[in-house]
Amino acid sequence: MDKRAEESPEGVSRRHFLKGAGAAAAVVTVAKIPSVVDAGHEVSDDPVILGPGSIPITLKVNGVSREIEAPPSTTLLDMLREYHRLTGTKRVCDRGSCGACTVLLDGRIVDSCSMLAIDAVGREITTVEGIGTPQNLTDLQQAFVEKDALQCGFCTPGMVVSCTALLNQNPTPDRDQIRQGIAGNICRCGTYQNIIEAVEHASRKGGK
Amino acid sequence: MAEEITIQVGFGDQFHDLTVRLQDGDIPPWQPDQPLDVVGQRKPRLDAVAKVTGTAKFSQDQRPDRLIHGRILRSPHGNAEILAVDLTAARKMPGVRAALTVPDTFEDSSARYAGAEVAAIAADTEQQADAAMRAIQVDYQLKEHCVTIDASMAEGAPQVGRGDQENVQRVSPRTRGRRRGQNSNPDADRQVVEQMARREKEVDAILAGSDSVVEGTFRTQVQTHAPLETHGAVCSWEDGRLVCWASTQATFGFRGEMTSDWGQVKAGECRVLSEYVGGGFGSKFSAGREGVIGALLAKEAAVPVKMMLDRAGEQTSAGNRPDSLQKMRMGVNKDGIIQALQIRSWGTPGSGIGGAGAHNDGIYKLGEIDKVEYGVRTNCGGAKAHRAPGWPQGSVALEQMMDMAAHSIGGLDPIEFRKRNDDHPIRGAEYDIARQRIGWDLPRVRGGAAPICRGVGIASNLWFSAGGGGASVLVRISKDGAVEVRNGAQDIGTGTRTVMAMVAAEELGITLEMVSTRIGDTNDPQGPMSGGSTTIGTLTPAARLAAHHAKKELLAVVAERKGWDPADLDLRKAKVIRNDGSDTGLSFKDACSLMDDDAIEVLKARPRRNYAGFSDTNAGVQAAEVEVDMETGVVRVKKMVAVADAGKLINPMTAESQVRGGVIQGVSFALHERRIMDRHKGRMLNDDLENYKILGSVDCPEIDVVLIDVYNGKSNTQVMGLGEPPIVATAAAVANAVADAIGVRVFELPITPRRVLEAIALQETPVVQPKKKGARL
Repeated sequence: MDKRAEESPEGVSRRHFLKGAGAAAAVVTVAKIPSVVDAGHEVSDDPVILGPGSIPITLKVNGVSREIEAPPSTTLLDMLREYHRLTGTKRVCDRGSCGACTVLLDGRIVDSCSMLAIDAVGREITTVEGIGTPQNLTDLQQAFVEKDALQCGFCTPGMVVSCTALLNQNPTPDRDQIRQGIAGNICRCGTYQNIIEAVEHASRKGGK
Repeated sequence: MAEEITIQVGFGDQFHDLTVRLQDGDIPPWQPDQPLDVVGQRKPRLDAVAKVTGTAKFSQDQRPDRLIHGRILRSPHGNAEILAVDLTAARKMPGVRAALTVPDTFEDSSARYAGAEVAAIAADTEQQADAAMRAIQVDYQLKEHCVTIDASMAEGAPQVGRGDQENVQRVSPRTRGRRRGQNSNPDADRQVVEQMARREKEVDAILAGSDSVVEGTFRTQVQTHAPLETHGAVCSWEDGRLVCWASTQATFGFRGEMTSDWGQVKAGECRVLSEYVGGGFGSKFSAGREGVIGALLAKEAAVPVKMMLDRAGEQTSAGNRPDSLQKMRMGVNKDGIIQALQIRSWGTPGSGIGGAGAHNDGIYKLGEIDKVEYGVRTNCGGAKAHRAPGWPQGSVALEQMMDMAAHSIGGLDPIEFRKRNDDHPIRGAEYDIARQRIGWDLPRVRGGAAPICRGVGIASNLWFSAGGGGASVLVRISKDGAVEVRNGAQDIGTGTRTVMAMVAAEELGITLEMVSTRIGDTNDPQGPMSGGSTTIGTLTPAARLAAHHAKKELLAVVAERKGWDPADLDLRKAKVIRNDGSDTGLSFKDACSLMDDDAIEVLKARPRRNYAGFSDTNAGVQAAEVEVDMETGVVRVKKMVAVADAGKLINPMTAESQVRGGVIQGVSFALHERRIMDRHKGRMLNDDLENYKILGSVDCPEIDVVLIDVYNGKSNTQVMGLGEPPIVATAAAVANAVADAIGVRVFELPITPRRVLEAIALQETPVVQPKKKGARL
């Protein structure tokens, strides 16, 4: 089983939301959450009506908080790519079955295509851009390079994020655990074995 | 003047002399005893850092200012005529900037499959485009559909094509001289039919005279390419000129299409950029309707448009590997020599007719062959070239026939049987490596004798990929020592960019780190498409030749400035050396600083022809070990051994990755992937990535790759491509291993648990069928 979070803790997942609202007019968001604008706000029992127009959404991405106006129906993936201009996170299936859009939410992997940006307010979001930079690769990224754990590169950011989370949780995974750790990430070029070798290599170096 | 030289060709410890007449200006290939510093080393790809940090910008990631979003409306009907498309309401929706209809744009009002393009919208946001799509009014006239070859081949099936186009049409042997728009040329066709009848009679007679005849009917499924980056482009008009950031396997082909009548852009006014491409596997040679639609929407909106397909559009409409129904009879003598093979095959490329053949010609010496291929029109998304088009399906049938034939003559060892019918100069050695590494002769519980059974299977690859003319490479050495290698072709993940730089670095006697590359831009020199596994064989000889001449120019500068003899100078390990190997004390960088000009630039074209070298084809052998649960029918591939050759290996690490990738797609084809069509609605049911099953990390077998370095003398780099060869044999090896494990054959792919259980339960398809003399396919 893939261990990614099926729903956000607040209980508003994109899938359930769309089911409830109907597919025809997915523009008004009804959310029973503290506040999407300010995470520190006092909890209210009254449902908050958001949208259909843009609202300010403050996200903390790779350690930096930014407030950006966007429709409340915006997915976390689109928020990152279109509004924060962080295009390392990829859209592939857009429905939570391929892992290319994997990001860390408070250190846990989630499919950013399958949750709303407003549900990520107040959480620590880490994208591939926040893991290492070309000048300062992590041991894992360096191992990906050395073991040729990529071909076309389109699944690679999601793979790097999933493997980073795996090593954070388990610094010395065995081969089966590594396979499980990337079970939610599809690679079409066929790099699985090289990725497994890269994670083992990074693990031996003691890094992440 | 053509220079005649003697070179050594061969592999392992089998080398011999070959005389080659060099084409004008070409340089001799590297020799087996020649020390190489960069070529042959395991080098990380030059774009690896950009890819692991997410900084690589794919077409999907391009975001020019004022970018808006395009969407394509697709027909939901199995077969329909578009009577009218009304965009009035859609155009009034918020954010909409441009719209078009497919009948007006492409003069095609038939939506012959569910997924066919009907109209397109561009709006400020994707959500606005989606909302506007729902406001498009389409008036369809629904027609009957056929979405399987069985339905289309049945008596009284509705016609899929137009005019006199029949649903089932022979595509090989072809009737020559067919007039355009006509289904057949009656006179020429009659001659071909007569020849076919004669051929069938001849082969029937040989089969009747053979010691043993085996026959089988095999089916393979439709497999989609499913590249992770979908098809499409970001299109932008800048001062009347079109720029396309395209996800393509052919930058120049994409440009050519856009500047054709169809693409409606003036020649010289289109530039295609593809620095990174998220996979293609044969599906991205064409600009496609989405490319043209993107350009037209951008023109109307007067702002850049991102027109990338969504996943459902990708799955239904962006290409697939056709299915196959193959009936075969093979005659073999007691000494294990194949006498004849009769093949009838059917497959559907969608509503067209060509490109659905199942290929296996030439893998073995098959005696006399009588083969007829038919295309079957269906109301399905069209096929495209898919990694070794036609070969994996042809191999699945042929290789199982090989095992059945070996079994029928007293249980001859399948590898020994293949060797007796194989004259490939490289493959003989590859069988022995595969046999040893898969543990072919180890004892196993097999033949259905226990709840968990293990089996092994073998199959062979064949490919033809030494490349050809049509590429020029520019090498630029700057006064500051920077070296840039440029070609306009793309790297779809195969490592083209890196091997091109490695070849240039080798020739210039510098390290790979000293070379930068620029690719994927049609403003740079002409390059090949990434197709037929020919890219590396086409590009690298041009890169080496350009680097060679740039080196000569640099050494001439050095010789002049230092008063040395240019003929006594060479470059090695980033230094200027003399022919006796001694160091001149001058580094490469110092040598560059002696230039008067800013840079030396050399553009060289690849010699057009290949030499008559050692082997014109890639061989390769694969062996599979599987484990089958007799109670659940679940097949697990435990291990694959892939022995591969591709001429001279430039970068064994990326070559190994190519082989692993082919094997993984082959295992996925054997066990999991298939397009599922709803016969009633005519729609694809699994146009996504959760119900369309692609092999994942948990089920991925251990893959043991063995690469054979071959000096084939075909070109100055002797390189052959390796994209396609490794997928040819994989599914066949798995199918043979399953039969070995369970003692009965599963004749249809994918080999699902249900099919395994059915085969075990029914046992109505014995591995050896009784000899039926005179029976016809």
